Amino acid sequence: MRWFETPNFDFIKAHNIAYFFSGGLIVMSIVAILTMGLNYGIDFRGGQEFVFEFEEPVDVVQLRSELAEPLGTVPEIKLFGSTREILLRIDTEEDITQTRETLIANFGNIYPGNTVTVQKTDLVGPRFAEDLRRGAMYSIIFALAVVFIYIFIRFKGWYFSAGAIAALAHDVLIVLGIFTIMGEIAPFDVSIDQAIIAAFLTIVGYSLNDTVVVFDRIRENSIIYKTMNFTDMINKSLNDTLSRTVVTSVTTLFVVSVLFIFGGEVLKGFAFALVLGVILGTYSSLFVASALVVELQKRAMKAKA
Amino acid sequence: MKQQKNGFKIGCIVLFLGLTIYYLFPTVQWNLEQRHMANMTETERVQYENENQAKLQNIRERSLSLGLDLQGGMYVTLEVGTPQLVLELAGDFADDTLEDIISTAAQISRDQNTNFIDEFVSEFERRDPNAMLSRYYRSDAANITRRSTNSEIASYLRNQQTAAVERAIEIIRSRVDRFGVTEPGILQQGSNRIVVELPGVDDEERVRDLLRGTARLEFRLTPETDEINNLKQQFANFFSQLEEEEADSLTDDGEVKNLLEIFDLRGSSQYSFGYAAGRDTAAVNRILEREEVQNLIPGNITLLWGANAFAYDNGIPLYEIIPVRSQIELTGDVISEARVAFDPNTNAPEVSMTMDSDGARRWARITGANIGRPVAIVLDEQIYSYPTVRSQINNGRSSISGIGGVREAEDLVNILMSGALPAPLDIIEERTVGASLGEASIRAGLYSIMFGLGVVAIFMIVYYRTGGGIADLALMLNIIFILGILAGFQATLTLPGIAGIVLTIGMAVDANVLIFDRIREEMRGGKTLRASIDNGYANAMSAIIDANVTTFFVAIILYSFGVGPIKGFAVTLMAGIVASLFSAIVITRVIVDYLTREKTATVSFG
Repeated sequence: MRWFETPNFDFIKAHNIAYFFSGGLIVMSIVAILTMGLNYGIDFRGGQEFVFEFEEPVDVVQLRSELAEPLGTVPEIKLFGSTREILLRIDTEEDITQTRETLIANFGNIYPGNTVTVQKTDLVGPRFAEDLRRGAMYSIIFALAVVFIYIFIRFKGWYFSAGAIAALAHDVLIVLGIFTIMGEIAPFDVSIDQAIIAAFLTIVGYSLNDTVVVFDRIRENSIIYKTMNFTDMINKSLNDTLSRTVVTSVTTLFVVSVLFIFGGEVLKGFAFALVLGVILGTYSSLFVASALVVELQKRAMKAKA
Repeated sequence: MKQQKNGFKIGCIVLFLGLTIYYLFPTVQWNLEQRHMANMTETERVQYENENQAKLQNIRERSLSLGLDLQGGMYVTLEVGTPQLVLELAGDFADDTLEDIISTAAQISRDQNTNFIDEFVSEFERRDPNAMLSRYYRSDAANITRRSTNSEIASYLRNQQTAAVERAIEIIRSRVDRFGVTEPGILQQGSNRIVVELPGVDDEERVRDLLRGTARLEFRLTPETDEINNLKQQFANFFSQLEEEEADSLTDDGEVKNLLEIFDLRGSSQYSFGYAAGRDTAAVNRILEREEVQNLIPGNITLLWGANAFAYDNGIPLYEIIPVRSQIELTGDVISEARVAFDPNTNAPEVSMTMDSDGARRWARITGANIGRPVAIVLDEQIYSYPTVRSQINNGRSSISGIGGVREAEDLVNILMSGALPAPLDIIEERTVGASLGEASIRAGLYSIMFGLGVVAIFMIVYYRTGGGIADLALMLNIIFILGILAGFQATLTLPGIAGIVLTIGMAVDANVLIFDRIREEMRGGKTLRASIDNGYANAMSAIIDANVTTFFVAIILYSFGVGPIKGFAVTLMAGIVASLFSAIVITRVIVDYLTREKTATVSFG
């Protein structure tokens, strides 16, 4: 079987459409993040989180309204995989044992006879959450910086670094935006916690893989075809590597989808971020990174001339 | 020449496979043993475990361990309270100014995420540039004189902090060991944090008390009954007067301000100051903390709550306040042995304690001088009992009664025996995972690996034919290598770690995809199969290296910033990159070379 054996797409010409599409997504993401705020999970916001398993199905809306009074605040409740399991998040200064006891006592009142077991509890202090938030931010910034430097050294041109970083930032920002918009409507937990940051860094690594393979071909072609103009050469490199890009994306998309479907409730958000990341990463290394490199190179040349 | 080169490659493959099998063997053994033991009856199992204890422990220790998210358990991050430690180190020299400086510095270091001790010293010097810290910290034992400089004292405080964290870790380890957790993990994190991992533990509240429990045991004398009655009179006068003067303004914010509304100035004995209902004790404390109320209490008297309700009023527990002397006669440091005992009359559990020789001598002197008067036994600022001394106690014996149950008594013995924590510990992070959720996660993880592997393997064969089959073989070995690397480095397999393996399945074939596509390209250019293979491998190499090095960097960053399970993800990602590079480049090459050893041989790359 062969896909895209000798393709001849003009990726760079398509860049206007790509810019429009990406620009739209980025604006949407930024607006969503600014208006709705990042949907921080327990790791970055602090508080208490529980996963309860009931014997009989429960109603989330009813639980939310009936628990508001005894808890003194409306807790965040989501189904966790099935209608018998819930994820409950609450901001409280109270001792976690006490919260748990209060919750279990109230479950007993709301659903008499429906036995409940505690599957998972998380308590993160506000200051610790702040530390985790800071660590996550540093790790993303640091990762981007290291990538920039490495590509700069290996490909000897700042526009390669800049193109790669812009594509990575593009991927992460849009995934963040989608997570923010889906905050309320997603049937699984899409809050941003440490696992999501790990997913982001994996997206960075993955998307970079694709970009680096293309850049590598550009480097090679620029030695073979010395007279070819820069735009054509980049186009040729993208086409040369297209079959590989698609095959790798397909296999990776397979496994992250498997993870999303079979990986269990705990990994849902994480796997979802990876699915989005693989799709966006492939798209951005084909349409965004190289187009930006061409643009930046042209400007650099003009400035020199 | 080529044969020789491949000889080296084959040698490497055999070596790595050998190492992997060596490191994974205990894991397989352990799983077999567990399956074996699962079929036994309880008595058979216990007997089997006893007979093979050394062997079982050995293979369990060397087998690939599962993270708490997979086997269930409790994960706690504790923070050593440095501000309290710095205050306590000042001992009797501490005053309001010092307390104020410490609380300001604590606030600043919290807000700006800076080192507390640095902030403390600079805040101290900011208030009075000429002031000397030696005023508060001079001590012969620590060799700090009046002339010690502030920076010397800062480094002394830093050393004390390090020592306190080390000591806290020791104490926690001893408490956890006594609690009976198998394979606990106790690690220092940063300068003042301790991570405690307790597999299989699900009794969170008990563990929490055990980890944090300071068990500050004190023996204090009680004031004369005259003094107590006097104090009661003062309180009665103060609050009844208050009522007349400010009755209207007192309850405007819904908070009771008149103690007498919620506190009864009587009690169960002549030594009691009074009592309140359990739900009102917090409000009583707030009133007692007010400055004008504090002024009523003489400096040599401290008011402390009884640990247990002394009576019930229609089911509402009533707690009383017992005044004690501010001076502490004896502390828990002198306890050399503690054990659970039962009161011969009531059969209620109590903790019976024996003191060391110095403590026994002082205890004899205290009891001898106070025959006929009560001595309060205070644990963590609560009075457990105040028995009346009947005769001088010479053997250093004492006991704590009024303990809830046998388990509480056991935990208290544990805490007393492991020693007092040098500084209070705060729980800043706590996570528990139930065993059943862990099992569900393992199942989900295994399914994901199998499905992921299956789908990718089929795709590769369909797309690259023989080449795909070779890549699949390399992929299987790759997964075994990853597990071998994890076991060899004694890493822990977590749920995100399994996700990392699944992800690696998808990305590991990338190197082969790069190579095979390159081979196809070379063949399209008209080269022979052998030449295309040589060129394909050679030309794909730089892209493979660059792509993997960058991903590896990202994994390192993830490892250094991440905590807990995320670290596990980073570790499998790194192991996956190394293993997949080896299997995709070296193993497939050897197989491809073997298949094309005859000039006429053909291998299909689809």
